[in-house]
Amino acid sequence: MIFEQLSGNLLQGLVLGSVYGMATMGLSLIFGVLQVVNVGHGAFIMVGAFTSLMMFQAAGVPPVLAIPVAFAIGMALGMLFYFGALKPLVSPSGSGIKSLDMRAVGMGAGILVALLVVMRFLSAAFKLHFAITLFVAIIFLYGFLLYIYGGRRQDKAPELATLLVTFSIGVILEESVKQLFTSEARGFNWAIGKLDLGVTVLPYTKLIASFGSLTIAVLLYLWFRKTRAGMAMRSVVEDDVGARVCGVNVDWQYALSFSLGIGLTVTSGVLLTMFIPVGINPYMGGPYTLKSFVIAVLGGLASPYGAFFGGLVFGLVENGSYTLFAQFQGLEPFAMTRFFSFVMLLVILLLRPTGLLKVK
Amino acid sequence: MMRPVRAYYPILPVLIGYGILFGIGQMVPGKWQLISQLAFFCALGQAFNLFMGMTGYVDFGYVAFLGVGTYGMAVSIYYLFDKGLGLTMIVIGMILAAVFSTLLSLAVGAVALRLRGAYFAIATIGVNEGFRFLIEGARIWNGSDGMIFSRHMKTAFGRETAMALSMKWADVIVFGVAFLAAVMTLLYMRNKVGYALTALREDEDAAKVMGINVTRYKLIAFITSAILAGLLGASAWALKLTYVYPTDVFAIHYTVEAIIIVLLGGAGTLLGPIVGGLIYGVSKYYLAIVLPGFQLMIFAPIIIMIIVLFPEGTVGILKKRVFGTPLEKFII
Amino acid sequence: MSLLRVENVTKRFGGLVAVDDMSFEIRHGELMAIVGPNGAGKTTMFNLINGVFPADEGRIIFEDVDVTRYPAYKRAHLGIGRTFQIPRPFASATVRENIAIGGMFGAAGSEISVDRAMELADHYIDIIGLKEHRDKPAGGLTPVEKKLVEIARALAMKPRLLLMDEAMAGMNPKDIDEMVAFIREIRDTEGIAIVSMVEHIMRAVAGLAERVIVMHQGALLVDEPTQEALSDPRVIEVYLGQPPEEAHA
Ligand SMILES: Nc1ncnc2c1ncn2[C@@H]1O[C@H](COP(=O)(O)OP(=O)(O)OP(=O)(O)O)[C@@H](O)[C@H]1O
Ligand SMILES: [Mg+2]
Repeated sequence: MIFEQLSGNLLQGLVLGSVYGMATMGLSLIFGVLQVVNVGHGAFIMVGAFTSLMMFQAAGVPPVLAIPVAFAIGMALGMLFYFGALKPLVSPSGSGIKSLDMRAVGMGAGILVALLVVMRFLSAAFKLHFAITLFVAIIFLYGFLLYIYGGRRQDKAPELATLLVTFSIGVILEESVKQLFTSEARGFNWAIGKLDLGVTVLPYTKLIASFGSLTIAVLLYLWFRKTRAGMAMRSVVEDDVGARVCGVNVDWQYALSFSLGIGLTVTSGVLLTMFIPVGINPYMGGPYTLKSFVIAVLGGLASPYGAFFGGLVFGLVENGSYTLFAQFQGLEPFAMTRFFSFVMLLVILLLRPTGLLKVK
Repeated sequence: MMRPVRAYYPILPVLIGYGILFGIGQMVPGKWQLISQLAFFCALGQAFNLFMGMTGYVDFGYVAFLGVGTYGMAVSIYYLFDKGLGLTMIVIGMILAAVFSTLLSLAVGAVALRLRGAYFAIATIGVNEGFRFLIEGARIWNGSDGMIFSRHMKTAFGRETAMALSMKWADVIVFGVAFLAAVMTLLYMRNKVGYALTALREDEDAAKVMGINVTRYKLIAFITSAILAGLLGASAWALKLTYVYPTDVFAIHYTVEAIIIVLLGGAGTLLGPIVGGLIYGVSKYYLAIVLPGFQLMIFAPIIIMIIVLFPEGTVGILKKRVFGTPLEKFII
Repeated sequence: MSLLRVENVTKRFGGLVAVDDMSFEIRHGELMAIVGPNGAGKTTMFNLINGVFPADEGRIIFEDVDVTRYPAYKRAHLGIGRTFQIPRPFASATVRENIAIGGMFGAAGSEISVDRAMELADHYIDIIGLKEHRDKPAGGLTPVEKKLVEIARALAMKPRLLLMDEAMAGMNPKDIDEMVAFIREIRDTEGIAIVSMVEHIMRAVAGLAERVIVMHQGALLVDEPTQEALSDPRVIEVYLGQPPEEAHA
């Protein structure tokens, strides 16, 4: 009985694991090329999930067809955040301006405060509009200052800076989606039949998601191996100074890899909704960030393929441990599984921070 | 061991700052809630800065230390209320909070502090969630039902005292923790610990070669910062609110606030967290009135703006301005 | 008795053998140079001596203590000091604080108070002649000044062995001569052994070192007194068949 249940669960785990794996490839790609850990990873998955949900609800588009849209949204977001926030840190132009003109800053702060004061006396209906205006004003002020000063660093920023920036990007996404769609959990139902395997029943949606993940992983592999663009990107991973010397435009490779990574991540959000079409909310990304980190360190943080196999392993372990915890009275299997993935992360980091699975 | 007294002058602006804040809270009617919130933010920033600002490592799971600290106080009151211990119970609660957060910091530190940069951040990012799920999953201390102990407090101390404890004394303790955090920061800055931390923040390999046992000094900063967070959780959350729910006290949201405060004020400075705490606290309070629910959406792009354009933060910039003037002795 | 003994030390990076079965000794108070072409493994050898990473094989013995498995900071406490190929002062700390940090934590460290370390720093600031920059952040100095700060920081550690990685790279001949004189002077006043690593600048080697070790592809090629080493045909061979003087960087 328990074995039947276990093998059924493990099968489910493997199928889910392939989606997990795909959901982590973007994280590893970004780390491999830019040496940046995308702490806001989960938020991009959430954006993908909302893309899928909205297209299904508004126009009845099946999630499979949302994939290219999500990928495009991801690429666009990637470019936006790369040039808007990361570039001055990882690839500083070193314009050499030492002190920002405090008058510009003071003026900007003044405008913001004035906006706030105006808002104090507005009716509730106007507030949303003004909140958006305020948000846009901040972004605009930032863009203006960035344009004038081009970032102030001469050298690569410390790691702390990129961690905090990607983290903040995640918060911006979560909060924006919350403003647009509220924080209630949503779901949809895309039923296209099931496949009965005896030990377990797999809906076709899950199978498509798993197959889609595998396809994307293979495509990425081929792209890296067979295309010029892919090889240029790989050369940056190997040795960015060497690549620069050989005429590779490293700055552009950074931008491209970041947005490709984000594109993949947002796409994986769509695939995940084919697997779990419920519980879609602005803060759903948090657990995925954690899971992706476990998976990424399993496979070696800088290797997208390692991440894919790490995902398979993690899917198995997660479902296996859920089944196991469910056997004990007095334990909440769901919460314990989440706790377990956290412990797993620490254990892997303790044993071999550079990855347990050696996949090149 | 001890440095000359003038090395410690910068504690004066801290003292004056908190003094004025406390005074306003006491004197101006109806403002105590806001003032105690501000003190909480200052304390949070100061405690967080002691690790993040001084070592350059970011602990995304930081709120877990506040969480276990909250449980320390809660456990003390919840299980000891009928033992006739009186106010000793509060002391036990504070001690338990410190012990819990120390233990957690040792456990996390044992793994994470061996790791460099990004790997450290990865190791810490799940700590708060992990702990929350342990409490919920294994149904420790009532699991997800949390602990509500206002009744226990009334039984133990009587209605009047229980009210005073949560309405007033909890906030006074928060002021105390904030001041203690500033004192610890300054002590470290002026002694070998601080120089070791500066060195390892700038260049960890070079620091090792200089003879600095980097793991040891990182651990010192980590534990100190964790204990302060534990005490803060015990006072500002447990004692003040008289309940604890795992979903509240492990919410990553507070780590975000700590980061904002430290960056606004200036990471690695003594006065930064106070300035940052005040700016953040006041604007959050105001934003909550004019634009409820928008605080993080406004502050997240501001974090990016600070990191890209003004990495030194307010006090960092101020420090440069007063360099070479008599004020330089006071502003660090 | 020798100050440092390196016995059959090997270090591999993946398939690359960066240091290949090196053995040599350094005596107390000696001025020695390690030379070799780019990628010969000089910096790696330094990293092994002061513990930036451990050796894969072999032993390193400093004053009769087997330090092969010691972490870097413990080796510093025993008296191994180091400067880097690209200077790495602590950018946000002032010149004075940088040097004081060396004093506080190096071999002298355990007994020295912060204030005493600051006085020590002032002493070395005088020696390197950067008095006017004393309270400025080290990040804003010129490369040569940074190099001087690094040397002072290492000296404040009170090492018995000072490893200088490319102390003269990128300097003009006048600066090189000054630096050579400066290094000889600190050897005499501090009474420490100095191993300076030089890439191609034979002019400096001749004026500086009493003994030369030549490394080639990770292995020891020559270990001889300076004059003999400079005319050794094997050494000339390594420098592309040119006489070393002409292989000037
Ligand atoms: N941390 C490392 N990981 C991988 N390979 C390394 C590492 N450090 C050095 N190497 C390799 O080991 C070899 C020896 O390098 P090393 O820096 O010791 O040479 P060097 O003699 O100091 O050269 P240079 O004159 O360029 O400073 C080189 O091929 C280098 O690429
Ligand atoms: Mg070298």
